[in-house]
Amino acid sequence: MSKFRKNEEKPAPAINTSSLPDIVFMLLFFFMVATTTKEVDPLVKINSAQGAGVTDLTPFKQRGEVDFVYLGEPMKGDVDKFEKGIAVQFDGILSQNGINGIGVWKTEKFRNKPAEVTAPQENIITCFKADEKVPMGIIFTAREILQELNFNSIAYSAQEMGNKSSYSIREQ
Amino acid sequence: MAKRESPEINAGSMADIAFLLLIFFLVTTTMDKDTAYLRMIPKKVETNKPQTPIQQKNIYKIAINSKQVIQARDSIIKPEDITHLNSRIKHFYLVNRGKKENRDINYPYYGYGSIQLYKSNLQEQEARLLKLESQEVIDERTQQMIDQAYDAVAKWEEKLEMMELYAKFSGKREMPEIDFEAHIRLESFLDTDYSAYVAVQSEVEKAVTEMRDKEAMELFGMTYTAMNNFYQQKKTENTPEVRTMKKHMELIETLFPLKLIEVKPKR
Repeated sequence: MSKFRKNEEKPAPAINTSSLPDIVFMLLFFFMVATTTKEVDPLVKINSAQGAGVTDLTPFKQRGEVDFVYLGEPMKGDVDKFEKGIAVQFDGILSQNGINGIGVWKTEKFRNKPAEVTAPQENIITCFKADEKVPMGIIFTAREILQELNFNSIAYSAQEMGNKSSYSIREQ
Repeated sequence: MAKRESPEINAGSMADIAFLLLIFFLVTTTMDKDTAYLRMIPKKVETNKPQTPIQQKNIYKIAINSKQVIQARDSIIKPEDITHLNSRIKHFYLVNRGKKENRDINYPYYGYGSIQLYKSNLQEQEARLLKLESQEVIDERTQQMIDQAYDAVAKWEEKLEMMELYAKFSGKREMPEIDFEAHIRLESFLDTDYSAYVAVQSEVEKAVTEMRDKEAMELFGMTYTAMNNFYQQKKTENTPEVRTMKKHMELIETLFPLKLIEVKPKR
């Protein structure tokens, strides 16, 4: 019977991969649109706090009107070296004298700001990106320094809760 | 010359290049947006004048201790029940709203402005300004009074404009305005957790935004959140649409002001 011929003569046809680049480019564009670039590598561990009705800082970032202060346990090095085990990071470096460096840092940054940033001093936001366990005392120390220097806008960083209804508050 | 066939370019490595780019973007970017609660630190004032005490009914005090237990006025709220704050804050704002008698004496009172009232106030201030400026000798004291009068005129003009906007959209003749002293006072301890503090901020923000959304929906058929999103995106463009939106938002913010005083912890 010739209906059952041996398959060996016909090799499996090659899959056409010419549309693979298109698919990958599509993925690439999706990621380019949906993500934002990292400005600095965090040197502290941050589990962000949860909240509802938060403001998106993207438009402020685009105008260069926001500075970030990172607060949390250091990723490397000895935790005990830092006051209360909380390291403070301004831009790319860990602060040597904790939160008290914020005044110098902000003043320097405002003096050397790019020319296209036209916002007045009191409208430049200082955003605290703090770990959920950071005690408020540190942030209030920073607030006082900022008030003294007339940097009047601040922001408490938090992640939008979405559909979850419970906050992640530490039980004691 | 004979026509030569152009050789086909081998596109086999295109996928590799695209993958490389893709991986580069995956590594250098983050998915989560930066979101935060925007707050203002009050300007420092150099005055030794003793401040007149604020009436207790105008303060809504929320305190968080180092164990993340919340005290809102006289009630204790456990961390897991934090969402109860929402209705309490709304109650603080709304209990006396629209009432002229039988008011709850423990909560802030409302004032009721009307176009006539603001117009007469404005005229009064303008008359005062005219009288001051027509004086022959303008000494330092008079100059101060003139400046004050200018400020007052500007203030009443702004109020009148807001009142007219409110009357136009609501059809009502009186605008309820909460006592200007009414505020939420947020106290914490030195070692209160950041997450608990932010959770309270979130509840306050949510309560006020929900009230604003409701009011904006009734007046303009659009929620305050939507208006704010639009405004934040288009803030730098100076189009008439953006300006009207700003006016509308200002009205809603006057009707439901978010006044939050954050007190420096003592212990």
